[in-house]
Amino acid sequence: MTAATTDTRWQEEWQPVIDAVGRDFDEGAVTWGADPVERGAIRRYLEPLEFDCALHTDPEVARAAGFADVTMPYTGVIGWTLPAMWQPGEQLFGTHDRDAQPVRSAINNQDMPLGPRTTGFFGTDIDVDFLRPVVAGERIGRRGKRLLSCTPKETGVGRGAFLKWESDVVTEAGEVVGRIRIGTYAYVPKGQS
Amino acid sequence: MSEGTVSAGTGRRFEDVEVGEALVPVEYPLTVYRLVMAAGSNRDFNSIHHNSEYARSTGAPEMYANTSFLMSGWERCVRDWMGPVGTIRSIRGFRMKSFNVVGSTMRVLAEVKGTRVEDGVGVVEVAIRSENSSGVSVGPGVVELTLPRREGVPA
Repeated sequence: MTAATTDTRWQEEWQPVIDAVGRDFDEGAVTWGADPVERGAIRRYLEPLEFDCALHTDPEVARAAGFADVTMPYTGVIGWTLPAMWQPGEQLFGTHDRDAQPVRSAINNQDMPLGPRTTGFFGTDIDVDFLRPVVAGERIGRRGKRLLSCTPKETGVGRGAFLKWESDVVTEAGEVVGRIRIGTYAYVPKGQS
Repeated sequence: MSEGTVSAGTGRRFEDVEVGEALVPVEYPLTVYRLVMAAGSNRDFNSIHHNSEYARSTGAPEMYANTSFLMSGWERCVRDWMGPVGTIRSIRGFRMKSFNVVGSTMRVLAEVKGTRVEDGVGVVEVAIRSENSSGVSVGPGVVELTLPRREGVPA
């Protein structure tokens, strides 16, 4: 065995996260999507998918089906619950590098207060329950961010941990319209440790 | 729209469904153009999904399709088959096993796994997966949906 394969210190750095399994890191707060669900945004969502369903594009069809307006594709529950990338008065990019990353993004592990700092991040799995369709004009968000599991593991791309999170999807009226469990892998890419 | 109450509109009815029935596959050539459109529309701007150089720096072989796009491909496959009258209750087993990288073609494949009537509502389980040239890249999972029943059919 080499020193690299017997080095377990990187795993120990994840112990505070493992100890936090069960904790709601947002303490029940709602992270709102940047914008309400809108017809134009739905149309743009459908384009790269070549997704043709009149419920999402034709208000008359949607109304005939009993909805107040066109409906959001169910899987839009991810995108429409992402917060804005930028707010007035903020600076989005801090460097001029070609591959400069935004100062802040909801799609990484930056806001994790525990465990090692990671720069690699991707989604691994999702389970989602849809309680009812979301309609244009509604705004949705994710309530709570409960850590369900943390499993440190070295993979082909680096060292990190598989994390699973659970949130309710809610409207501004407080109605729960879905429940989502998202798995992610946060890691330090090989060569960057 | 309540589950199982639709009596009008186009689309499949629960009584038309057969276990083992294959859904029409959906094929997505994963071009740079499509992935950039997807990132812009579903707001997953992580550079791994639109920047080859950055993606390689994170250990991936190339930039690759994002989660929303992949899961939406499952929804489109199911929606194409059931029409506007169906509702989706859940998605299970959506596990991304390998990268769906730019330049590859991803196919969404599905078939009816089971049917049941639950409180008078027609419930269908569809087994679904995404494949590329390396095999299954997402799933296999299950989409649970409801379809309206034909009028006059006893609950």
